Amino acid sequence: MQTVIKQTLLASALAAASVAVQADVNVVSWGGAYTASQQKAYADTWEGGKVNFVNYNGGLGEIRTQVESGTVTWDVVDVLPSEARVGCDEGLFEELDRSIFAPAPDGTPMDDDLMVPLPNDCVVPQIWWSYVPFYEEGTFSGDQPTTIADFFDIEKFPGKRGIHTWPNALIEMALVADGVAIADVYDVMSTEEGIDRAFATLDKIKDHSVFWSSGSKPLELVKSGEVAMSLAYNGRIGAAVLSEGEKFVTVWDGQVLEEEWLVLVKGAPNREEALDFLVHATATEQQAGQARHINYGPMRVSAFAVIEEGEPWFHNGKNIMEHMPNRPAVMERSVVANPEWWADYGDSVSERYTAWMGQ
Amino acid sequence: MANSEAVATPGVLLTADGTPLKVSLQKSLRRSKLRAMLLVLPPLLFLVFLFVLPIGNMLLRSIDDSLVNQVLPTTFKEFKAWDKTTDPPESLYAAFYTDITRTLEEDKLLVGKAGVRMNYDKPGWRSLIKISARKFKKVEGPPYKEAMIEIDKRWGEKEWWLSLGAMKDERTLGYFLNAVDKKYDFDKNIISVDENRKVYNLLWYRTLLVSFIVTIACLVLAYPVSYLLATLPMRFSNLLMICVLMPFWTSLLVRIVAWMIMLQQQGVVNDTLVGLGILDTENRLAMMYNFNGTVIVMTQILLPFMILPIYSVMKTIPPSFMRAAQNLGATPTLAFLRVYMPQTIPGVGAGCILVFIVAIGYYITPELVGGKDGRLIGNMVAYHMQRTLNWGLAAAMGTILLAAILILYWAYDKIVGVDNMKMG
Repeated sequence: MQTVIKQTLLASALAAASVAVQADVNVVSWGGAYTASQQKAYADTWEGGKVNFVNYNGGLGEIRTQVESGTVTWDVVDVLPSEARVGCDEGLFEELDRSIFAPAPDGTPMDDDLMVPLPNDCVVPQIWWSYVPFYEEGTFSGDQPTTIADFFDIEKFPGKRGIHTWPNALIEMALVADGVAIADVYDVMSTEEGIDRAFATLDKIKDHSVFWSSGSKPLELVKSGEVAMSLAYNGRIGAAVLSEGEKFVTVWDGQVLEEEWLVLVKGAPNREEALDFLVHATATEQQAGQARHINYGPMRVSAFAVIEEGEPWFHNGKNIMEHMPNRPAVMERSVVANPEWWADYGDSVSERYTAWMGQ
Repeated sequence: MANSEAVATPGVLLTADGTPLKVSLQKSLRRSKLRAMLLVLPPLLFLVFLFVLPIGNMLLRSIDDSLVNQVLPTTFKEFKAWDKTTDPPESLYAAFYTDITRTLEEDKLLVGKAGVRMNYDKPGWRSLIKISARKFKKVEGPPYKEAMIEIDKRWGEKEWWLSLGAMKDERTLGYFLNAVDKKYDFDKNIISVDENRKVYNLLWYRTLLVSFIVTIACLVLAYPVSYLLATLPMRFSNLLMICVLMPFWTSLLVRIVAWMIMLQQQGVVNDTLVGLGILDTENRLAMMYNFNGTVIVMTQILLPFMILPIYSVMKTIPPSFMRAAQNLGATPTLAFLRVYMPQTIPGVGAGCILVFIVAIGYYITPELVGGKDGRLIGNMVAYHMQRTLNWGLAAAMGTILLAAILILYWAYDKIVGVDNMKMG
């Protein structure tokens, strides 16, 4: 009886919701230049309906609330790697029929056209982005920082460092800076001594660190001279250089690449339209098109090839490839984040990191 | 009928239609009571749905551990039979295998959810459950032990099986323990977490400390301002009142950003000090993105909550009292201390309680200006709600906060008396 009532309520809520928004697809993303690039590359080129972009700050809290209470208003969400996994495990996302998505121009199915193995059937490709160190031209006289070890070397390159308030990527970078081979990073991290070693490296910059938690902050910190070098999302640095002519220099060494996926929320009010939107957005052409507006690397191999051939690709006529985090030239010195590891150990490392920050 | 009864009992007053007056009166009273009830019904429903139910839900979540027990009932039965000193027996492996395969058939999602929950107690459970669930289909058992170790070598390690001990009951205090840097061992003894993972006690301490400092700072700043507001001639005090209220009406974020511009190391204050030669450029003060930043900004933001109640109380104190005290021979200081100040206590109490309670659960300011050591417990609650999805832990921390506020309120009632409090 209770389930009948629940389902009736759910159905009426869904009906009401879909009437109310007239089948516009609600796409939830991160805002700023990133959402703008999705708007231009995916929404403006889509003829299946209108797209409402909604901003959020990440995390699954809101989605879980919507799904558990049966009042889902979001359709498509742009999620980070560990959320993509936990959300699918928890049943917050719908598992998608893989056959509806467009293959690459050469006929490769979408799931084989990705730069990383597909984690589950809930997700479809979005982008690759990275945590990477950068500084402003002219900050250092003489030698310029070129390696991730330089970022952790206060004596050689004096000045404050900007780092974020959560441990992702920092643990990996600290280990690479300490001499761990990139291929071994996650093996080392899986031991207690490995984590100790990472924190020992982080200790070297702790007293010289300014902590940031929003993506625009590191650019302000570096621009104002508050810090000499900072970690940042590569897209933010690229956007400042490509669109605003800032003189930021990215240190392409020891960056940590992270996945970004699109998912369909379970019980999405505009499911059919949302699916159609996802098919459109994940096609090679649209994936490549997004890079006209932001320097995040497309997840689809075929889209990457399109950009490479189309240079100068950025919308204002500049070359984009040198700002792509997943271009072949830098891949050798990049850590590809292991979201499975983070989904398992993220909470416990975060606790330790928070303790470390506050001590 | 009523009529004949009334006749039978003389002396009872009757209304025009013959019903006893008492009955008729009660009836009309009941009607007006009902009407009054109807009037308070909307706020009552509002309270129930938006306050009582969510808080009840939060309290329940903070001790609920039924999910894992729903997924692994036979495993926990076998776990209790196991002596924990020898290697886990085949029966335990078999029970786990059947529990998982049964749940997979009934509701696949429960397995994933259970894995996420188990990961809180021991990092790694999530992937272990996930890998196992995927590969259990191919297991041809019994025996299951070797097959499971084949799937993932962790199944051969005793520690994973032992960690089940902390989850074996439907109700758990585990989340509360977690919120104060403690945990259960496999036998449900309470032990401390590793030294380098202790974070919550520090945050509780810091939250109380910040709230306390902010309350005192607000009081010290607000008292003279309120006094001026209450005693200045109208045209000055109006202007001053606008100065107090203007920030109150300004967006929180705008004020926080303004403080960032003022206080950061390359900010206005530091630049001025360096420009005047008071500071070397190397020794610029760190007033932002740390503990100091949180205290300074929160003090400014919460100041009106202190000024307004104190002002409203001071406004009611007749100036003649002070004059009378001085007429009777008190010095101005003594008159202020003995006559004026005691009368402002209700306002001071209200202001302090208000500021402290708002400060103890503060979230957005510490998030933006807290940096490394200025973040509070509220930030942790939000973090667990939004990021880790560990709602049990978030609920436990919320419950502790609620309890702290209730205790504070109780203590205030004992010391000052709540009836004394004046909100304005």
